[in-house]
Amino acid sequence: MLEYKNMSIDSNMFSKKNRVLLGELVKTDFKLRYQGSVLGYLWALIKPLLMFAILYIVFAKILRFGGNIPHYPVYLLVGTVIWNFFVECTQQGIHAIEQRGDLLRKINFPKYIVVVSATSTAVINVLINICVVIIFALLNGVTPSLSWLFVPLSLIELYALALGISLWLGAINVKYRDIGSIWEVITQALFYAVPVIYPVSMVSASSMLAAKVILINPIAQAIQDIRENLITDAAATTWDTAGIGFGWLSIGIVVAVLAISIFVFKKKSKHFAEEV
Amino acid sequence: MKWSDRYLKKMQTVAKEEALNDEIAVKVTDLKKSFKLPTERAWGLKQAIFNRLKGVKGYKQQEVLRGISFEVKKGEFLGIVGRNGSGKSTLLKLLSEIYTPDSGSVKINGTLVPFIELGVGFNPELTGRENVYLNGALLGFSNSEMDKMYEEIVKFAELEQFMDQKLKNYSSGMQVRLAFSIAIRAHGDILILDEVLAVGDAAFQEKCNDYFKSLRGNQTVILVTHSMENVLKFCDRAILIEEGKIACEGKPEKVTKAYTALWQ
Repeated sequence: MLEYKNMSIDSNMFSKKNRVLLGELVKTDFKLRYQGSVLGYLWALIKPLLMFAILYIVFAKILRFGGNIPHYPVYLLVGTVIWNFFVECTQQGIHAIEQRGDLLRKINFPKYIVVVSATSTAVINVLINICVVIIFALLNGVTPSLSWLFVPLSLIELYALALGISLWLGAINVKYRDIGSIWEVITQALFYAVPVIYPVSMVSASSMLAAKVILINPIAQAIQDIRENLITDAAATTWDTAGIGFGWLSIGIVVAVLAISIFVFKKKSKHFAEEV
Repeated sequence: MKWSDRYLKKMQTVAKEEALNDEIAVKVTDLKKSFKLPTERAWGLKQAIFNRLKGVKGYKQQEVLRGISFEVKKGEFLGIVGRNGSGKSTLLKLLSEIYTPDSGSVKINGTLVPFIELGVGFNPELTGRENVYLNGALLGFSNSEMDKMYEEIVKFAELEQFMDQKLKNYSSGMQVRLAFSIAIRAHGDILILDEVLAVGDAAFQEKCNDYFKSLRGNQTVILVTHSMENVLKFCDRAILIEEGKIACEGKPEKVTKAYTALWQ
């Protein structure tokens, strides 16, 4: 007969069993995502590029937002790619528990695996997209530099924030399904509160305070850091425009959100099986 | 008493308890579970706020299990019977740690493999092979362990030619056969089954019956079923649950009689 297996919950997050399960769920999600579409995985690339094309025509060519920022098209592309990553991550993550309810009702395993696996497609997509960004940057005449190595740090920070929001709101969404819809509206509003399409200088020209407030937002901080490290020093980061203190405040927000979300998720996850 | 002495004494008593429990696979003590069932439409944020303002609770407390205690010995085949809604499935879900009990405790001595439903996580868009690996991962098997089992599973299910087809192209009988074959490969110390004995056509059922008979005596099994025939055929002992309490416990013959008496 075969080896005996232990079905009781593994407290170790990274135990072999949990990693295998996470791997299988990620594979399944990725396979099913583009099921039945002709271009398949290519959509992961095409979607942000099309979105970029629209924004480029409207904001760089018609409205001429670029101003004095060098490599503005790439700058814009980075913004959209990173923003899309954040939105995709949270929207998949928040609905993860509710969508995998069939599993939770029938088998016992660490619930966070479901949320992490739901956000994994967004992670894979952003990694592919960053490669595209780098190709565009080189074509546009950006010189490679050592500061590129800092980009993953900002991505990790943003993922921590997105995962925190997913765990937190996802746990509440199990009982109150309105949360998912509310979050969609909030992301719409956030899109304009984050300097994705407009440069920070447009805001700081009229109000320095408003620019500072915008930059405390960890999403804005991460996007601006990536832009500075990847493309141009002309990107206004939280650290140099608002001040070092604001930079740390923004990182503090991420840590706080993640810590609270883990606490809330742990508490609520005991009852997911009966509520979902 | 010194701290270390106290610690030593505690360890000794723990060891003693464990020694006592060595013959016991599952010990359930005064298990209680209730659910909050939403009255009218308590779904969603709006209703929740209204209910709070109006002072309405918005749910009804439904006591499903009202204090259940029993033990399962190692190697014992225990049957659990009862009417629909008597709390059998809730009990299994508490044993499988899917639900958290309100009070009371469940002690499991060994590893437990639950089959509340066959083919958990099966996805119609994936192939048979992919579904086997996904289901295996959910049951806690690694890919290399699944590699070893794969041939046996496919052979038992008699689906050799269909494994690279999508599950949605399987007949329902074929799907259940595949799920069942994974289930009986997943060996733990304690096997929990919720009404999954009768699957497939007559020939396949015969095969499953043989398999269950072979389990008797060397595998701890907890089986929930409505078939008194199966209780008499497989079980060493049975429990009748009625309105969240144990109404009858003992020999299969006695319990099946009590079960049929419920309708007289």
